[in-house]
Amino acid sequence: MNPRLTAFAETLDEAVLNRRAVPRLTDTAPLDVAEAYEVQRAVIERRRARGEALIGVKMGFTSRAKMVQMGVDDVIWGLLTDAMLIESHLDTAGLIHPRIEPEIAFLLDRPVRTPADAVAAIGGIAVGYEVLDSRYEGFSFTLADVVADNASASGFGLGPWHRPKDVGNVGMLLEIDGRAVASGSSAAILGDPLRSLNAAARLACAAGIELQPGWVVLAGAATAAVPLPSGAHVRVSAAGLGHVEVTTR
Amino acid sequence: MTERHQAAAARLLEAYASGRPCEPVRDLIDGVDDAYAVQNLVTERWLSQGRRLAGRKIGLTSKAVQRQLGVDSPDFGMLFADMAVPDGEEIPVGAVLQPRAEAEVALVLDRDLTHERHTVADVIRAAAFALPAIEIVGSRVRDWDITLADTVADNASSGMYVLGNRPVSLRDVDLRMAGMVIERRGDQVSSGIGAACLGHPLHAAVWLADTLVRLGRPLQAGDTVLTGALGPVVPVAPGDVLEARIDGLGDVRAAFAAEKSAEEEV
Repeated sequence: MNPRLTAFAETLDEAVLNRRAVPRLTDTAPLDVAEAYEVQRAVIERRRARGEALIGVKMGFTSRAKMVQMGVDDVIWGLLTDAMLIESHLDTAGLIHPRIEPEIAFLLDRPVRTPADAVAAIGGIAVGYEVLDSRYEGFSFTLADVVADNASASGFGLGPWHRPKDVGNVGMLLEIDGRAVASGSSAAILGDPLRSLNAAARLACAAGIELQPGWVVLAGAATAAVPLPSGAHVRVSAAGLGHVEVTTR
Repeated sequence: MTERHQAAAARLLEAYASGRPCEPVRDLIDGVDDAYAVQNLVTERWLSQGRRLAGRKIGLTSKAVQRQLGVDSPDFGMLFADMAVPDGEEIPVGAVLQPRAEAEVALVLDRDLTHERHTVADVIRAAAFALPAIEIVGSRVRDWDITLADTVADNASSGMYVLGNRPVSLRDVDLRMAGMVIERRGDQVSSGIGAACLGHPLHAAVWLADTLVRLGRPLQAGDTVLTGALGPVVPVAPGDVLEARIDGLGDVRAAFAAEKSAEEEV
């Protein structure tokens, strides 16, 4: 691998370990999006070398507003490892500047060998949340920067799995300490989270990664991300899917 | 004072008549009560012309819009029967000045709401059923350059409205968690949730019922109440067809005619 890209991967991985934001990679050297995905993969390889296992993928830029803001016309994706799964508590002291957003999650129960397999592979659907924690100063980045940084992925939590059903337009609510701080519809996710799942399959197949049975696909957020405070109780609900909660320290 | 109100009403009525937006009217209005007085002058004019009052619309129900206008309360305007468009029927170019669309929950009442203070229970008892709706808001004020006073005087920026055709009982729908999406040619152009309307569309209806009693024209059996937008407003262009879906309520369409043909423009 290009030593420039290896150095980028090391920078981002150490930013996580040291809980310290770093300057944007693109401010220090050139980086295109294809290279950025190589950096993303290298960061995950470093995590796997420490014993973490891949358990899914996450989709980013799934809202029209975000695509316009970033000047892109396609989604991006990142990789999820088992160490990112949050049970019911999260210590925010381990994070740089965390944000949280409500998500729809799909559980796969068979391998996705071609993009056409994706919908038939759905074994379960849940409400979830994602904790984002850009490794960049000021949560500010270009497209290549955020792709290299695993689409800002930090952690995620999942509510109870439900049998496959239509989640194209369900209301979603993010409450902090009992007060609604963000709300929207799952339709904000590309018009229907299923489209995001299909995009995940397309991008994974193109990258030569086979989505595996048991993997989770975080389809994207129904609202903009909000800052995640410490000492807070957060609940994310979706109509017909129940809710998931996390308490921060 | 009343002369200034008359002047504001005349400015707005001229915009309706000419099809050309007018300057703001806030220079002629001192506060929100004044603005409702202007709205009422226009309403009285229309009632005297034989237009039938069919209900009310509630506006400024989202936190984001309230912040934008620097207010902490919703507002309301009059719905006349001739502002209602059947589902999917073409809305002529120019029927609404500077049109924009938003998806809402409509309540249709079968009891009057005449108490000084209403509860959610009063509103639930009075609501015969709910319908999905698209409100086509518009502004008689040039470039939507509005303050609270301008929009209140201008009938809360009402234009036309489209109601769905399948009534749903409030016992069968969770309006707080109901998702909302508007699509144009398969693209999602707005999305939201019932809770985005003052926490719950019924809360907006309670506010309206109380406010109308105070102002002397209470809600009556048969009235339609458009309770407020569930998500961001969508700009519309000639030829657009918008489909709104509200989870649990169904779907409804607003179809805008393409530009006028040459012979129509004579």
